[in-house]
Amino acid sequence: MPARQLSVSIPTVTRSIGRHALIAALAAVFVLFAWLAPAFLSGANLLSVLVNNFALLAIVATAMTFAVSAGGIDLSVGTAIDFASFAFVSLVLAGQPIPLAALGGLAGGVVVGLFNAVLIAGIGISPFLATLGTLFVGRSVQQLLTNGGNPVYLPPTGVPDAFRFLGHGTIVGIPVPLLVAALVIAGAWLGLSRSRFGRVVLATGIQASVVRYSGIALRRYTAATYILVSGIAAVVGLILTSTVTVYIPSSGNAFLLNAIGATFIGTTLSPHGRPNIPGTVLGVLLLSIVANGLLLSGLNFYWQQVGTGLLIFSVLAIGFANRKAAART
Amino acid sequence: MVETVRGEVGDIIRLDAIVKRFGGAQALSGASMAVKRGTVHGLVGQNGAGKSTLIKLLAGLHEADEGRIEIDGKAYDRLTPHLVEELGIHFIHQDRLLVPTFTVGEALFLGREPRIAGTPFLDRALMRRRSGEILDRYFGLRLPHSALIADLSAAEKQIVQITRALLDNPKVLVFDEPTAALVRREADLLFQLIRRLRDDGVTIIYISHYLGEIAALCDTVTVLRNGRDVATLPVKQTSAAEIGALMVNREIGDLYPKPHVVAGEALLAVNALSLANRYANVSFTLHKGEVLGLTGLLGSGAKEILRTFFGLETATAGSVAVKGEPIFTATPAKATAKSLALVPEDRRRDGVALELSVTENTTLASLDRFSRGVLDRAAERRATEDLVKRLQIKTDGIEALVKTLSGGNQQKVAIAKWLSRQSEIYLLDEPTVGVDIAAKVEIYTLIGELAQRGAGIIVLSSDIEELLGVTDRILVFFRGQVTREFISSQTSTDQILSEVTGAYETLSNVG
Amino acid sequence: MLVDAPYYIPGSLAEPAAGNPQEPRNDRPAYGRQAAALALRGGSLAVFIGVLVFFSVTAPFFLTVGNIGNVLGQSAIAGVLAIGLTIVVIGGGSNVVTGGIDLSLAANMGLSAAVYATLVQAGQGDAVAIMAALGTGLVIGAVNAAAVTLAGIVPLLATLAVMNVVAGLELVLTQNTVVPASSELLAALSASGPLGIPVLAYVLLGFTLLVAAAVQFTPLGLRLYAVGEFPQAARAAGLPVKAFVAGSFIASGLCGGIAGILSVSFLSGSTTGAGDMLLPVVVTALLGSVFSRRLVPTITGTLLSTLFVGFLINGFQLLNISSTLVSGVQGLLILLVVSATTLLRRQENI
Repeated sequence: MPARQLSVSIPTVTRSIGRHALIAALAAVFVLFAWLAPAFLSGANLLSVLVNNFALLAIVATAMTFAVSAGGIDLSVGTAIDFASFAFVSLVLAGQPIPLAALGGLAGGVVVGLFNAVLIAGIGISPFLATLGTLFVGRSVQQLLTNGGNPVYLPPTGVPDAFRFLGHGTIVGIPVPLLVAALVIAGAWLGLSRSRFGRVVLATGIQASVVRYSGIALRRYTAATYILVSGIAAVVGLILTSTVTVYIPSSGNAFLLNAIGATFIGTTLSPHGRPNIPGTVLGVLLLSIVANGLLLSGLNFYWQQVGTGLLIFSVLAIGFANRKAAART
Repeated sequence: MVETVRGEVGDIIRLDAIVKRFGGAQALSGASMAVKRGTVHGLVGQNGAGKSTLIKLLAGLHEADEGRIEIDGKAYDRLTPHLVEELGIHFIHQDRLLVPTFTVGEALFLGREPRIAGTPFLDRALMRRRSGEILDRYFGLRLPHSALIADLSAAEKQIVQITRALLDNPKVLVFDEPTAALVRREADLLFQLIRRLRDDGVTIIYISHYLGEIAALCDTVTVLRNGRDVATLPVKQTSAAEIGALMVNREIGDLYPKPHVVAGEALLAVNALSLANRYANVSFTLHKGEVLGLTGLLGSGAKEILRTFFGLETATAGSVAVKGEPIFTATPAKATAKSLALVPEDRRRDGVALELSVTENTTLASLDRFSRGVLDRAAERRATEDLVKRLQIKTDGIEALVKTLSGGNQQKVAIAKWLSRQSEIYLLDEPTVGVDIAAKVEIYTLIGELAQRGAGIIVLSSDIEELLGVTDRILVFFRGQVTREFISSQTSTDQILSEVTGAYETLSNVG
Repeated sequence: MLVDAPYYIPGSLAEPAAGNPQEPRNDRPAYGRQAAALALRGGSLAVFIGVLVFFSVTAPFFLTVGNIGNVLGQSAIAGVLAIGLTIVVIGGGSNVVTGGIDLSLAANMGLSAAVYATLVQAGQGDAVAIMAALGTGLVIGAVNAAAVTLAGIVPLLATLAVMNVVAGLELVLTQNTVVPASSELLAALSASGPLGIPVLAYVLLGFTLLVAAAVQFTPLGLRLYAVGEFPQAARAAGLPVKAFVAGSFIASGLCGGIAGILSVSFLSGSTTGAGDMLLPVVVTALLGSVFSRRLVPTITGTLLSTLFVGFLINGFQLLNISSTLVSGVQGLLILLVVSATTLLRRQENI
């Protein structure tokens, strides 16, 4: 009898470790860096983690979570960021008022989503291939638009101060990028796990034919998903441009792999391995803390990437091994 | 009292008092089966009775906790898949395990490919020739060399799969629900083949839900119930009804609990509906409270008609009206808006989402009802709990994933989805395929209840007895046309069967 | 032995199955599918030839032996990588998210190149450096294999994480600088061979021939396809599915190591930015399947697709068109090809 009980309880314990691998990893790196680098725990540093490391990646990863939820992926989030950035900068240079230019920037990003929507929902291409194609075409389009890939700078003078607000402004003391990220995260959480739209997206990702056989206009939802992804990504394009006051062609791709990584790390938080916004946000937080902490602890800059990679790898390994064990019982 | 046949010297396989536990659950509690050499031995039982556990044990995929396994007179402590194959026992699975982009030759020889002598290279010419020869000479099957598995019909794939097993010179062939994906004529072909194999000395173990098949094909049948064998009988001395009664331990008389409902006003009126190359000039009316049966061979147009109503196909001529109002349903979304509901045949692909919970499945078609800007999850739970109770869905809570439910209970979830939407016209496509008898009765009861509440129901089924039991009228489809209408209470199985197949012969004689 | 295994021939089946006419078979789907595949394959080849003809008319130098040799030589690194990826795609199935993909390949090449160049610069001989570079590739492949088959991480993520680690290690090793290297092997590889064609061109052709023979013409290759396309069927046929998947990642890792050595010879040292090769290689490998009759990835198809991209870049250079446009053409091509496949398939389902 005791033997039987033991054999039941061991998988239960490992499963709960697996479920909470992400939170355990977060706690571990937090304690580790607090110990290694005293500066890590300072308020200024933590704020800088949130503004410089966390905010933008969190928005991109939130967008990615929708695509992954729908059973797909969006490799062209960077393209949406770039197009938004290009449209924003161009409109500001053309002397348009900032709010209008920002709207134009959003529209620029959404163009990418529309293109994806036609490919994925209209023609029926698999999301990976469709968005990979978009990424390549988008790169060429940007090079055509910029004479072979030259950055577009905004002049130091003559640009309205409002332009810098998105990247450098604060509202009641809170930096705008962080505020925007919080709003996007909250909205995405409501949209994905508490709304009709989110439920359909989730069901599509799990078994699309059932959604169709349930009398739901599947294609419309799929199209909306990819347009939404690019719309959210476009916000990052605006903030990024406002922060660095320059548009650099194909620079948005820098977020891609970390956004995918954070989204899938986040799936380990859900009992059924589903993509979810809280998990994604914790995943981004983990990546941000590690990047900042490694920097502060004086480790060789190049070791940071190794450390981050190993960490992602371990969280995924524990999460997936645990899911495999759960599927077996 | 039932007379039970016990093991004898001529047995090729003897499983004796097998016990198998999974965690706390006892899957087999002393099951025995003795299979006589050169016979067709049926194995039946409800889902959960232990059939698949017993077969997996024989295949070497599980290890018995207690009991004795004897093959060819020799006792084995432990079977492995490899050992089982060496002993000459082969399994024909219900999913045809053939690679779709392979040629027939490649699929046949996968795992034991011939090489060009003295080289490490495949002898494709030999594979092609041998596979062509054996399929043609022994099965009368002629396929183009370039044909890929993906191009074959279900029956042809089945034959390729059987041939794969035959290449190993098997002593025992185990068929697991082989007819699940076959139309009747294809199944008949399979039965002839099985009889010939038996006459040639191969021992067959045949697992099926269809008791009629067991009665027609097997020499002996073992009935499993609750993890043990309740009887092993010579088929000649028993009947499908008796076997069915042994499986559920109750009289089979109440299998079709059909209430009497007086049909009301017209719900669905079909007028001269046609779809090029599928069906032509189909007209009928479905009334409130009525259960209408459709049947026909594969390709007869019956299935396509259901798909048309639900917006999965678009008719090329004719009209459909719901409650007197003409509708044009080009998509499932428009069909559901007109109160139509389809319970599709491929339940696990189209009917329920296996990785979603019971609640998420149940409310999927009626999310509007629960959406007030955000989803009212408490209301979702209440509605689901009501339906789980009403349909007697056996589940480990409403948050359990649907993949953890049995086939019958999954089907009930697929129906609950439409009850939650309060649909009025139900299109049920083979609603009891792969469902055990107890759940079948519950689904039949539910169909009766729906009719009593004023819904209109169309049941498409190739199980004629089932149709006669649950419907008021039956339309027989043949080559895209309704060839005859029957009143269920005044019709026999034979009459309908001869209409389904007899018309075939008449026409093919003319053509 | 395998060939001579006695076939089970039931006596009563020996007579042709008379009086048992086959259900009339509906030939349409088969016909439609094959016609679609044929159209796509023919179309793709036609586009390939069309592009060649266009360039040879507009740029007279294009169709000379020297130029073709150059293109082959310049395509060697991408070709070896794409072939490695193709092996993984065959063994893992063509669903790119859950199936076979190796995102660590380009980073693998970078690290292997860095290892090779660093050792040569440190005065080690070719033998040691070659072993170390190939060993690096194999280890990376083995880590991927373990992550996918033992830990059960989907390949897209497992190789993504490994990619990060490997790219980081390359930075640690090279401090993000160029490591120049020269050795006998490098000199031999970067020389010209018979007909004045670069040795790298011969390496690419030889390598393709070897891998194609193993994958397209041996039982091992056939089994790899079975494992990738229908693991349950492979399992039912008694094949060790996990071993095949693991093997495909290890083979791909080895390709990364080989490509690393080739890149050191091509660039006379190890350079940064190997990661930029990743997505073009993925596109190349995925495009390759349109050159096969069954629309599955093949080694020869991947070679054709690599050369197609190589000729495009070359042609654009000869015509003085910005070669950055190649990525756009590649993107459009993959969209066109995949759209065509999807639409044809959909039409045939109706």
